[in-house]
Amino acid sequence: MSRINKNVVLVLLTLTSSAFLLFQLYYYKHYLSTKNGAGLSKSKGSRIGFDSTQWRAVKKFIMLTSNQNVPVFLIDPLILELINKNFEQVKNTSHGSPSQCKFFCVPRDFTAFALQYHLWKNEEGWFRIAENMGFQCLKTESKDPRLDGIDSLSGTEIPLHYICKLATHAIHLVVFHERSGNYLWHGHLRLKEHIDRKFVPFRKLQFGRYPGAFDRPELQQVTVDGLEVLIPKDPMHFVEEVPHSRFIECRYKEARAFFQQYLDDNTVEAVAFRKSAKELLQLAAKTLNKLGVPFWLSSGTCLGWYRQCNIIPYSKDVDLGIFIQDYKSDIILAFQDAGLPLKHKFGKVEDSLELSFQGKDDVKLDVFFFYEETDHMWNGGTQAKTGKKFKYLFPKFTLCWTEFVDMKVHVPCETLEYIEANYGKTWKIPVKTWDWKRSPPNVQPNGIWPISEWDEVIQLY
Amino acid sequence: MEGIKEIKISNRRIQEHWTGAVLFLLVTVIVNIKLILDTRRAISEANEDPEPEQDYDEALGRLEPPRRRGSGPRRVLDVEVYSSRSKVYVAVDGTTVLEDEAREQGRGIHVIVLNQATGHVMAKRVFDTYSPHEDEAMVLFLNMVAPGRVLICTVKDEGSFHLKDTAKALLRSLGSQAGPALGWRDTWAFVGRKGGPVLGEKHSKSPALSSWGDPVLLKTDVPLSSAEEAECHWADTELNRRRRRFCSKVEGYGSVCSCKDPTPIEFSPDPLPDNKVLNVPVAVIAGNRPNYLYRMLRSLLSAQGVSPQMITVFIDGYYEEPMDVVALFGLRGIQHTPISIKNARVSQHYKASLTATFNLFPEAKFAVVLEEDLDIAVDFFSFLSQSIHLLEEDDSLYCISAWNDQGYEHTAEDPALLYRVETMPGLGWVLRRSLYKEELEPKWPTPEKLWDWDMWMRMPEQRRGRECIIPDVSRSYHFGIVGLNMNGYFHEAYFKKHKFNTVPGVQLRNVDSLKKEAYEVEVHRLLSEAEVLDHSKNPCEDSFLPDTEGHTYVAFIRMEKDDDFTTWTQLAKCLHIWDLDVRGNHRGLWRLFRKKNHFLVVGVPASPYSVKKPPSVTPIFLEPPPKEEGAPGAPEQT
Repeated sequence: MSRINKNVVLVLLTLTSSAFLLFQLYYYKHYLSTKNGAGLSKSKGSRIGFDSTQWRAVKKFIMLTSNQNVPVFLIDPLILELINKNFEQVKNTSHGSPSQCKFFCVPRDFTAFALQYHLWKNEEGWFRIAENMGFQCLKTESKDPRLDGIDSLSGTEIPLHYICKLATHAIHLVVFHERSGNYLWHGHLRLKEHIDRKFVPFRKLQFGRYPGAFDRPELQQVTVDGLEVLIPKDPMHFVEEVPHSRFIECRYKEARAFFQQYLDDNTVEAVAFRKSAKELLQLAAKTLNKLGVPFWLSSGTCLGWYRQCNIIPYSKDVDLGIFIQDYKSDIILAFQDAGLPLKHKFGKVEDSLELSFQGKDDVKLDVFFFYEETDHMWNGGTQAKTGKKFKYLFPKFTLCWTEFVDMKVHVPCETLEYIEANYGKTWKIPVKTWDWKRSPPNVQPNGIWPISEWDEVIQLY
Repeated sequence: MEGIKEIKISNRRIQEHWTGAVLFLLVTVIVNIKLILDTRRAISEANEDPEPEQDYDEALGRLEPPRRRGSGPRRVLDVEVYSSRSKVYVAVDGTTVLEDEAREQGRGIHVIVLNQATGHVMAKRVFDTYSPHEDEAMVLFLNMVAPGRVLICTVKDEGSFHLKDTAKALLRSLGSQAGPALGWRDTWAFVGRKGGPVLGEKHSKSPALSSWGDPVLLKTDVPLSSAEEAECHWADTELNRRRRRFCSKVEGYGSVCSCKDPTPIEFSPDPLPDNKVLNVPVAVIAGNRPNYLYRMLRSLLSAQGVSPQMITVFIDGYYEEPMDVVALFGLRGIQHTPISIKNARVSQHYKASLTATFNLFPEAKFAVVLEEDLDIAVDFFSFLSQSIHLLEEDDSLYCISAWNDQGYEHTAEDPALLYRVETMPGLGWVLRRSLYKEELEPKWPTPEKLWDWDMWMRMPEQRRGRECIIPDVSRSYHFGIVGLNMNGYFHEAYFKKHKFNTVPGVQLRNVDSLKKEAYEVEVHRLLSEAEVLDHSKNPCEDSFLPDTEGHTYVAFIRMEKDDDFTTWTQLAKCLHIWDLDVRGNHRGLWRLFRKKNHFLVVGVPASPYSVKKPPSVTPIFLEPPPKEEGAPGAPEQT
């Protein structure tokens, strides 16, 4: 009896375990298929034809935005590049249906569009309609950075990114906001806690890894793969901006703390200097931008931006940096034409070049040229009296956009390292007496110019 | 799997094998369950469950009012109400929602409205029914409260002196016994549902004229009703979603929350053809007067040519209710943490608001500045659209303002007429970006300087001889009675009778003649054709001007120097126009209307227009009255 019982128990147990094994297999298969589902169906969907998921998603999105008067334009670098390469073809295909889907059917995870927020009249309710059309949308918002510079304001959040998914393809709508300095800004795509990390492959997004700044593009209407879209008039200019678009905000909070500690100088002289320095910087920026010479805020001007988000009123000059490989001989002439005569020129293109221009109201513009070595950058200095040379060393840096006195300008992205190299760890404490030959911690003596060269490398006007 | 086979085969030594097999199977089962759970979780993360959508809903902040599903246990609020001579308080479930024991303040009947489903405070008011007309305000307010809400009343100090029959009848209709019979210095606490049962009431009579009733403390339970009962069933639209959110939070806005026939919150006024100010940002400067803000925004959003997305409301302080009003209309609202006190605080708020406006709209060359206690004329934007080019073309202009300081019912007439004035009226005006960014912002008074921003802007250092364009008939109306520099008497005397244009689409006349040189030509033409009044008559008498219509008259008054306004001030006083300081002058000339005639006043000899005075005319001189001791100081206009 007991044996039979035991056998029965054994059989039962075996059955149960087999059942579980089946379960196990079933779930494992299920798990695998969902995990790779996106990838699998993508490769299936990438047939070149008008029924690709990409094309359908874009088409639906364009239908939605034109119905709802959402003024979007295409900013997808991949597609803009393709359009640019085949621009003649795009122009020639008028409204008739093209034979082959060439652009929007290219396999990819996202198509990026942008929107200028201030032109969007009916944001409310747009979302619901998108969802009714079958899109699954995600929206990120943040506080408005344009209010950061002003003490203690808080308000309605602004939308930064929309990601709308239709089947396996997603539309990334980047919301551009107008900023002071005639440029467009987009925010960092930051996912909130509760957002599904696997909603789309976020890592593959072209925009939103950092905040970005772009020139305001002029737009044109084109027909691409039978769809009418707006694209930048100069698509390549836009595409070239993308990798260098990273934007950093001024540290307004720290600047406020700084002013709480040291109080702002609001004397008539300080106000007047700031005004002239701002005008000089604007003029210099305009001149260099026209020449296509990239520059950044350097030395005291950079410190003013980083420490107090303003021009340091006792700094007496405006300092810019330029990579020596961007040097153009017509810089001097261009500044002269802009009403900024050359004050002095030290060094030569091959070594320690530095230019100074005379602005209005006794404000000077100093332009330092930076030389790149394998593990550092440097710029040079020359003492006019003695012909002594100096070298200022900086760790390597890249350029980021920022906003300074109502302008979009470059600063080193690695600003803290740059400033600490130049001013030491105590850069937070204002110092009014500064000896450019001795005070900077990164200064090194660099020999002396041979007297025969003085006429060339020490020019005073 | 091998293990399983092994189990099947082995028949011997079952005992040991059996235990082993069971153990093994148990392990398999556990591993399986764990695997199932794991994969389940992974799938639900990877899959498009409805969950992410809910998350995104939260991200959008679409906070639907909390709905209690099913018929959960009925909750009860424990309410305490205290009334006495020097202190009142109300506590709901142990939380104090009102406490006032300040001296010389908060006299009268305090009213609190609670949401009957959530117990949240929706409105808090005090009506000083010791003073006249406050009972009317209370009636108005109580009538606006939706039926079903929980009403709490409590008296501090005295609440009966000007509590008239209408108000008493209303209290009776609420079911109160003691309210309608409230006597001099009685204490009284009341809790009831509007239109429903009284939930508790206590009252103590004052024994004598010179003493107060005993303090009363009313403790009562208020049963909460379901959310469905507390809400209206409006159609599910974007607009009604905003409305629902608003109406479940605050009370006292009347028909906007009416279930049956709610007043619209979207106005879609006719667009303005060729609107030059469509892209000009509008900054509304607000404090904590949400009812004013509500009225203001209604009139603003009803004005022809308004573009709501250009409007930003700047709220001075972390006040919720004004923000709720802003959200009701779907506008942008920005709160400003106060930095300083009183006038300086207003001034810092202005600065932050103006800076923010130009930051938010970096392309805007102008900004319209409004305040929360203004009605906006239906043709406000039309007026600006027709005149804004002047600010671009004429450097000698400081601003365009919708307000004429001297434009009262009896002194303003012509909605198509504009003036140039040397003063800065404010109250609905246009500011140039360059003026703000280059001149005003860098030297704006710092918080420690307790200056009024508008007084500062009127100072010669700032204004630098520039003028403002104003209409004869104002395009804004100042309705605020409660304010920093405002009280009922002052408002009645100086603001109530102000003329306000209600005619849509007025075509302004000869706008370009407002430019600097052209205006001089215009003034000379006017003075040349003006009839000189009889200077022997008393200018304060009505008969000083003949009973004609459509004529132009001129009078000459004595004005020794540019800053001698002795006679003008007396004349302004007897004309019952603004006399607290000098407003509306242009090079010693004032322009207004009397009895439908254009009336010009020229100050002789300071005004360059004195040349127009016939030699025979002696300028009028009015003596200031002897100074009275303790004459009320003149509050400043804000």
